[in-house]
Amino acid sequence: MGMHGDFFQLLKEQGYQLGTPVAAIAGVEIPTATTILAFKYRDGVLVAGDRRATAGNMVMYDRTDKVLEIDRHSVMAIAGVPATAYEMVRILEHSFKYYRRTQLQELSFEGKLRAVSKLLKENVAAALSGTGAVAPIFAGYDCEQETAKIYFYDILGAEFEGVEYAVSGSGSPTIRGILHYLNTWEEQPLNALPEEPALVQALRLLTSAAEFDSATGGVNREANLYPIIKLITTGGVGAVPEATLKSLFEAKVVRHV
Amino acid sequence: MYEEPYKWVEAIDNRRQYLDDQFKQGSPVVALAYDTGILLLSVSKSTSKFYEIYDRLALGGMGHPADLEKLRVNLLEMAHVEGFNRSPSDVTGSRMVKYGIAPVIKQAFEEVFKAPFIVKLLLAELGHKAGKDSFLVVNYDGTFEEGTSCTVLAASKTVEQEMIASIRGKVSAVLSLEQAFDLALRTWALGDRLQHKTVEEPSGESSSGQPEDTEATSLSAYLRDRVAEKTIECVLLDRNRSDSSKYRALPSDEIGRLLPKDLTPLIL
Repeated sequence: MGMHGDFFQLLKEQGYQLGTPVAAIAGVEIPTATTILAFKYRDGVLVAGDRRATAGNMVMYDRTDKVLEIDRHSVMAIAGVPATAYEMVRILEHSFKYYRRTQLQELSFEGKLRAVSKLLKENVAAALSGTGAVAPIFAGYDCEQETAKIYFYDILGAEFEGVEYAVSGSGSPTIRGILHYLNTWEEQPLNALPEEPALVQALRLLTSAAEFDSATGGVNREANLYPIIKLITTGGVGAVPEATLKSLFEAKVVRHV
Repeated sequence: MYEEPYKWVEAIDNRRQYLDDQFKQGSPVVALAYDTGILLLSVSKSTSKFYEIYDRLALGGMGHPADLEKLRVNLLEMAHVEGFNRSPSDVTGSRMVKYGIAPVIKQAFEEVFKAPFIVKLLLAELGHKAGKDSFLVVNYDGTFEEGTSCTVLAASKTVEQEMIASIRGKVSAVLSLEQAFDLALRTWALGDRLQHKTVEEPSGESSSGQPEDTEATSLSAYLRDRVAEKTIECVLLDRNRSDSSKYRALPSDEIGRLLPKDLTPLIL
C-alpha cells in the first residue's frame, strides 16, 4: 500500500464508499447553486467564489467558503452539492499529504488532476441520481513547469483546461461572457493584470453574477460579507483579507452597481 | 522446542542479545523542545533517519531501514485514516504508539519463530502551545516511555540515560533554535562517543568525571572527527509554520548557518 501512496485506495480497502447513489426524493431540496471563477493574472491564479448556499428558493447559508485550499499550491473551488464537494476536498487534502509523506516527494500537478478526476468518476452514480453532482474548478501552481494552471470539470469527471479562465455554478453563464469580453477587448488581457486590478475584476464579476442569479450571493456590506478570494503564486496559496476586499469594493465596485 | 517455558525465556534472552548487538553501530537520535517547536537531530552516512508522519508528528528511528520503513508506512496509514475519519486533532502520538505500533512490535519480538523488528523508534508530537509537546520512544520489544521536553535513542539504555542526564537540566521552552541545535549536536556526540567506547573498550571510564571545559573541548574534537565524512540531519516541528503541516527538514545551508562557531569549517 505504502508503495503506491494512494490514500483513496486505502480508504476503499477499509470499506469507505464515496457518493452512494440514492435517487433524490421528490420534494426534498438539495443545496446547490453558486458562482465560482478562476483566472490567470500577472502573478499566478486568482480563484473566487460567492458565499451563498441555496436549497430551492431558500437561502440555506450565507457564509459558505467554496474556495478551499487543498495544499500549499492548489485550490479547489466547489459548485454543486456541498456534502459531496466537501467530502471530496477532505479526501484530496489527505491524499496529497499522504502521497508526500509516504513517497517522500510531492505529487505532480498532473497526479493531482488525475486524483480529482478519479473522485468525480467514482461519484458518477450519485451525480446522475441527483444527490451528489459536483462541478469543481481546480487551480494551482505547477512547481515543475513553473506556471499557474486552471482546470474545470463536468459532473462526470471530464477534465478541461481553462487556458485563461474558468467558471462554474448557476451564475457562471452571466460572467462567462464578461470574462471573454474583458480578456479580448480590454486594454490589458486578464493574465497581465497586477494583483489589485485583478481583485477588482473578481469582485465586479461576482457582483454581476449575483445581480442575475438568485442562487449567487452578492456582497452584504451590513453583515460585512465579502466573497472568498484566494491567490496562488509561486509562494503558495494566500487568502485575500476581508479588509482589503472591503476597501476595494467601496472604492472600485460600489459606484458601478 | 519452545513449548517448554524456560526454553522460550531462553530464546527471548538470545533475541535480546542479538538485537542489542544490532544497534551497537547505530547512530543516536536526539529530540528536544525549543522556543517555537521541536528539533530532531542525528548524524548519518546516507539513509534518512527522520520522517513526517502527520501534521504535528515526526518519526525518528535507529535500526534496519527495511523494518523502519514497514513501521513508518504502518504509522502513516493509521494516522491518515484516523485523521480523515475523525479529525487531525485526534491523531496523537500516544494513541499511535499505545494502540498502534507498540503491540505490533511486541508481538514480533515474542514470536520466536519469526524475525523481530530491528528497530527503535522515537515519535515527537508538537503541542498547540509551548510546554505541551510530547515525546515517545518505543524499544525493539514494544516497551515504550513518554516524556515532555526531550528524549533520545541510542544503542543501550545506559548510553540513553547518560545522554538524557546531560541535557535534562538544559532543555527549556526558551531555548532558541541555535541553542537547541548546539545542545542536540553535542548530546549526539556524547552518545556516539559512549557507544564507541563501550564497543572498543568495554571497561573504559565514563567521561562524566572530567572537568566541564575539558569535556566540552574533547567533545568538540570528537565531533570534528566523527562528522567530517557524515551528514548532519535535522528536522523541525515548527509551531510558527502557517501551514497545517508543521514538519520541516532543514536544508544543508541552514544547518551550516546553525553550526556552532567552533565547528563551522566542519561541513562547509
